[in-house]
Amino acid sequence: MGDSKRHRILMVSDFFYPKFGGVENHIYLLSQCLLKLGHKVVVMTHAYGNRSGVRYMTGGLKVYYVPWKPFLMQNTLPTFYGTLPIIRTILIREQISLVHGHQAFSTLCHEALMHARTMGYKVVFTDHSLYGFADVGSIHMNKVLQFTLADVSQAICVSHTSKENTVLRSGLPPEKVYVIPNAVDTAMFKPAAERPSGDEIVIVVISRLVYRKGVDLLVEVIPEICHMYPNVRFIVGGDGPKRVRLEEMREKHSLQDRVEMLGAVPHARVRSVLISGHIFLNSSLTEAFCIAILEAASCGLLTVSTRVGGVPEVLPDDMIVLAEPDPTDMVQAIKKAISILPIIDPQEMHNRMKKLYDWHDVAKRTEIVYDRALKCSNQSLLERLSRYLACGAWAGKLFCLVMIIDFLLWRLLQLWKPADDIEVVPDIVLSHDEDRGISQDFQAFNKDHSLR
Amino acid sequence: MDNNIAENPSPTRAKWRKVAYGGMQPGFDDNHIDDSFLEGMVMNANVVKRDMLKVMQDSVSISQYLCIVILVGLVWNYTLRSTLDETSLLYLDVSLLGSGFLVLLLTKEMLSVDLRLHYLLNVFFFTTGLYVLAPIYQTLTRSISSYSIWAVTVSLLILHLFLQDYSGSTVRAHGALKNPTLTSFISLNASVVASVFIASRLPSRLHVFAIMLFSLQVFLFAPLVTYCIKKYSFHLHLCFSFSLMAVTLAFVYTLHRLLFVLLLGFLVFVTVVCPYWLIRMQEYKFEINGPWDEAKLCFDITD
Repeated sequence: MGDSKRHRILMVSDFFYPKFGGVENHIYLLSQCLLKLGHKVVVMTHAYGNRSGVRYMTGGLKVYYVPWKPFLMQNTLPTFYGTLPIIRTILIREQISLVHGHQAFSTLCHEALMHARTMGYKVVFTDHSLYGFADVGSIHMNKVLQFTLADVSQAICVSHTSKENTVLRSGLPPEKVYVIPNAVDTAMFKPAAERPSGDEIVIVVISRLVYRKGVDLLVEVIPEICHMYPNVRFIVGGDGPKRVRLEEMREKHSLQDRVEMLGAVPHARVRSVLISGHIFLNSSLTEAFCIAILEAASCGLLTVSTRVGGVPEVLPDDMIVLAEPDPTDMVQAIKKAISILPIIDPQEMHNRMKKLYDWHDVAKRTEIVYDRALKCSNQSLLERLSRYLACGAWAGKLFCLVMIIDFLLWRLLQLWKPADDIEVVPDIVLSHDEDRGISQDFQAFNKDHSLR
Repeated sequence: MDNNIAENPSPTRAKWRKVAYGGMQPGFDDNHIDDSFLEGMVMNANVVKRDMLKVMQDSVSISQYLCIVILVGLVWNYTLRSTLDETSLLYLDVSLLGSGFLVLLLTKEMLSVDLRLHYLLNVFFFTTGLYVLAPIYQTLTRSISSYSIWAVTVSLLILHLFLQDYSGSTVRAHGALKNPTLTSFISLNASVVASVFIASRLPSRLHVFAIMLFSLQVFLFAPLVTYCIKKYSFHLHLCFSFSLMAVTLAFVYTLHRLLFVLLLGFLVFVTVVCPYWLIRMQEYKFEINGPWDEAKLCFDITD
């Protein structure tokens, strides 16, 4: 690969290993695949406990754990300008050419993108979640997103529904927003060699047990299904504030022997739980993409899910049964799933998933977005300010002020600590073992991580 | 889906599908915008169309309560200027209490003897308590100037009016389902504090007792009584409100011309201009719903 085509990317998000979830997973696997494509990838996140400083992960992925403590839900305190010096130093030290921020909730991501734009870098933003328009929280969140996206080079969303949502929230021209879904590591989620036999049907639920994951729907659906089918058993993996509700339901209907509660399942053990079942049930109330469905389908499970957000786009119609988020409709959907279960072949389903989703494909598509972002023309401060001014009567002026101060601080920093004084880090060239698949790396990644 | 592609007249350009699987769709970039983009968006789905006359009728409740508060203020003023002595104040209290009970009895179909006794007992405790506390109230703000007290009282009354729940009553009608909100409690407390402040400026203990009883009766039970009237008959409610307004305007006119003009203007503003504004502002309503919204559960969660 020619050096001219080689990007030097800084991934920024508050959410990264050692925490575990959809975004963390996405950043890690995307970075690994980009490294394989010959790009240089550096990740920046905040310190987790005593995990602070610079660390190397599998495949030479360098991670900066910035010593900046999280204050709420793993987010750093929004200081606007506090992170400018360290971000500038990292950008110069690592000779970064492009900054890629992840997740709209992450304050570190917003700050990094702002500073990177001030310094004239091209930035790409990936939105991983859906947001409404009605309540006070989302109105403010959407304004912040509008601020960050006002000057972003390109944006990526994980599903078409998510793209519609992001375009509406941020007022970004839709042709600047790309849809690149998540993927699943099919090598890690293989179906069992032999399907659990007998006429017993096992329905698996793995999710955090919180309101947004629709635990209240499960509480209505599980007793009804157990009543209708004496041969159905449930396995519920995950933990959370709504676990008590499920346990209450189990006591009330005396289903202790038919509903098994596993508690938090470490991600490395998710496959072993999945392959012990036949049907995967997802009851989320909102979902931009839902990786859990992919993992289940890759293990050869038939999925029953609520028709919310981006879920209908995730799988072909014959691999998923969709239902409205309403207990009676969900019971109907589970009935339908049980009736078509005999014609499902897990191995065939796994092979189809291999063709449908691949992280390498995701990385290649992301590469195209990077190329386009770098082709965007450079703009002067004044041209950029006019974009911020268009964000709103009051907000626009406020945003402009924030950007002007950022610009002045950057200039001051240039005088105080010239770029020439910052040492450039030599690139480490690892002798890759090319045969090694990302699956092994991935297992190393989530060795001691549990899904809450 | 596969059949669709086979039937497509130009096989080189397959149809774009709104799906996330299968990698990049051949012939389309990842930033392709289909005609179906934002198809699922619904605008202003939950907007209620409002009728001008209906809104004006509803706003009468606000003007009515405003008049009641102003009447209370007038009584305070007359008492402070010693136009009203304590005996006439006590007569006023008793007649108000009697008429309030009468209205409740007439408008509520079922009011058992038990409940009536219960109410009477409560009123008795309440009055005795007030009488015992009257000497404390009397000396409460002796060291503070009257101007400060009037200023604080007026601001408390404005707060009271601002936070008042005009659709129901804080003191619940028997069997009402909805619990009063925090703001309605703050509103009620503001009015009570205002009455205590005014009472503390009065010369004798009996005065204090009479004025406190009067104000608390009005602030606690007037919303309940007007609410009952409104539920019983809307026409009666309108008649009652307009006569109240007329009485208030007449009294204010005798007090001060400028205040009269201000009050009249404000009443017109509340009953005519505000409803018109509300209806005009509906045009600017911009509510977006779509497939990205969080699903709402169609049943109640009993935690």
